[in-house]
Amino acid sequence: MNINVVGCGLAGLSAAIKASELGASVSLISPNYSETSQSVMAMGGINAALNTKGENDSIENHYADTINGGCEINNPKAVFKLTNDAPKIIGWLEKLGVSFTRDNDGNVDLRYFGGQKYARTAYAGARTGKQLVTTLTSHCRKKEARGQVKRYVGWRFLSLIIKNHQCLGLIAINENTSEIRAFKGNVILASGGLNKLFGKTSGSVLNDGYATSKAFMQGVTLANLEMIQFHPTTIKTTNKRILITEAARGEGGKLFVNRDGKPWYFMKEWYPEFGELMPRDVVSRGIYKASNAGADEVYLDITHLDEHTIKVKLDEVYNICMKYLNLNPIYEPIPIFPGVHYFMGGIKTDENHKTNIEGLFAAGECSCQYHGANRLGGNSLLGAIHGGCIAAQNAYSTNIDTNESFIRKSLENEQKLFDSWRDGDEKNIVEAENELSDIMNASMGMYRNFDDLDNALQKLNVLKNMKIDSAGNYYDHVKINSLFVLASACIKTAIERKESRGAHQRSDYPETDENYQKTTCINFDGQIKISFEGLDD
Amino acid sequence: MTEITVKIKIDGEFKRFSYDGDLNISVTTLLEKLGGIEYSCSCLQGLCGSCAMVINSQPKLACQTFLSDEIMIHEYKLITIEPLSKFPVINDLKVDKSKLYDDLLECEQWIESDSKMNYDEIDFEYEMSLCLMCGCCVEACPNYDGNDFVGTPIAVSASKLISQETDSNHLKILKKKYKDKFYPHCVKSIACEDVCPMEIQTQRAISKMNKKAVWKLWQLIDRD
Repeated sequence: MNINVVGCGLAGLSAAIKASELGASVSLISPNYSETSQSVMAMGGINAALNTKGENDSIENHYADTINGGCEINNPKAVFKLTNDAPKIIGWLEKLGVSFTRDNDGNVDLRYFGGQKYARTAYAGARTGKQLVTTLTSHCRKKEARGQVKRYVGWRFLSLIIKNHQCLGLIAINENTSEIRAFKGNVILASGGLNKLFGKTSGSVLNDGYATSKAFMQGVTLANLEMIQFHPTTIKTTNKRILITEAARGEGGKLFVNRDGKPWYFMKEWYPEFGELMPRDVVSRGIYKASNAGADEVYLDITHLDEHTIKVKLDEVYNICMKYLNLNPIYEPIPIFPGVHYFMGGIKTDENHKTNIEGLFAAGECSCQYHGANRLGGNSLLGAIHGGCIAAQNAYSTNIDTNESFIRKSLENEQKLFDSWRDGDEKNIVEAENELSDIMNASMGMYRNFDDLDNALQKLNVLKNMKIDSAGNYYDHVKINSLFVLASACIKTAIERKESRGAHQRSDYPETDENYQKTTCINFDGQIKISFEGLDD
Repeated sequence: MTEITVKIKIDGEFKRFSYDGDLNISVTTLLEKLGGIEYSCSCLQGLCGSCAMVINSQPKLACQTFLSDEIMIHEYKLITIEPLSKFPVINDLKVDKSKLYDDLLECEQWIESDSKMNYDEIDFEYEMSLCLMCGCCVEACPNYDGNDFVGTPIAVSASKLISQETDSNHLKILKKKYKDKFYPHCVKSIACEDVCPMEIQTQRAISKMNKKAVWKLWQLIDRD
């Protein structure tokens, strides 16, 4: 059984490890090594109802918080499995050797995170994602040494091989040699979020969204593309907006704006019970409103925390502020504003991580099932690892007949496209990418309305019809043209969901409408088709 | 605004560019503004190690190296940027670091058993797990030439795994690989520790491995 995993972050690594343990022969395809994946950037932690703090936390609570945080459009069956398996996942990670921070009793320590009343977020210092990736990479290396996993580093996914609604494999290109080859067998896409649509987000520039856009154009159903999380606390640097982990608020960080010469702790005033630890969508909207839509500076204040907490538990916050703002957070509050962080939407899967195409699975940020209209902090690392494992189990039990001649023909077609492609001359790719991100940032921000969205669609249509000069790079050529389609799909979902829910806020439809307590489904048959599906359908 | 000269080593030769703008930017932002130069990057915030390159003769991460902090810019209005020299160049500033990863495989950097819990060593294991595999340490190392010597990443990785492993056969392999492929080549210049962007105390890793894998007296006293 061949299983091809696209992406080598935590979802891809977990899928590769699990599939190889089951006996599959795994190809792990990625543009770079796992150490450079977006997963290493996750700082705060990973959720599991371990209930070691005497708070009577439970899996049921974790489930309820995840559903509430997602504004009740999560896939309930998937969330049930996720939250149920979470403690077992922490146990597995401990056995593999993850250096979790411990409490005084020697248990994995838990911290408070947004949208959760209980201390439920296991963590490893301030670099949980990095610690997880190091350990899983080491474990995957063992599989590589035994020939169970073969890495293809420097390879980019180009397209799926699909016949009669079955996925027979994929085609990828080596970025350095331009070799194009087919990988036969089931496919697990773990290619990350749709960052490139917005230029630079808080995440990795490698997660460009191309695999999702191409799969979409080949008939794979997407879901909830309008649900884009703005992380409440990002800082502006000359590189990009950099995230300040939610752990800063979990450890007691406070948000304020200056009013009449005094700090006004607006979240505490508006939400006395949870304060700064409301779900991210609520906190982001709070910041937006308190700052008069960004006119006034908002600060994250951790100066009241002791130096040890800041330098040890929040060391990454300390380092980022010192390096990129020349600001010492022990003494000065941090100027922050919400920034694009996470895509709750993506490739639609069921609770088994199956897509609408047999033999094709998706896991991690590129997929959509767990997070509904707003993801809770600490659920992304959990979702990535859980999703990778579940996708691998189901991929291993799905047999697709190999059709050698069709695969060969698909490869020949892709090779012909490569041999015959020509750069356009109407617009430079850097300009095109900048225009794309300008359009998306202007229309798909925290608050949307029909006029802006419609205007964005018209601008995209103009851009879509231009011949782009990709500076001789074939991957960039296919990517930019697919991203135009994906961007249009995002905007159309935002137009069609005529309500406000979670990360999707419409100033012209400010209320939540029960009729939209559904999944937004997006299909492509030459045209983008939007429909709404019941959560259990 | 200050006009500076940017010298970038491309295909073995320095090409000159000029930049006239804000100096409070990182080298990755500078490369982006110049355009048309290939280099690796991913996180743009010092967490992934992709953008390691030689900047004014020092191996550094380009995303966290600011023009305004460079003495060469203050003194000579000049910055030189080169690809890491210990790896084959793919294009411009992009290099092939696969040798580092092949060595991790060759030195069997994993554990066979379930991990042993070492409560007293969590901070140490955490620190050793921060390695970015960026290549700065081997770039600065006077002994690393991409041949027999596997370089500091192996010492850092092994120093964690050797405490977690309980499979005695694999423990022996981890020690033997270190003893054969690291110990005879390292002359303790400590350059690796000086340049590590994660500030990993590489000498602690090396000392621990020497103690566990090489020095016979320690092994008699502290058998494991």
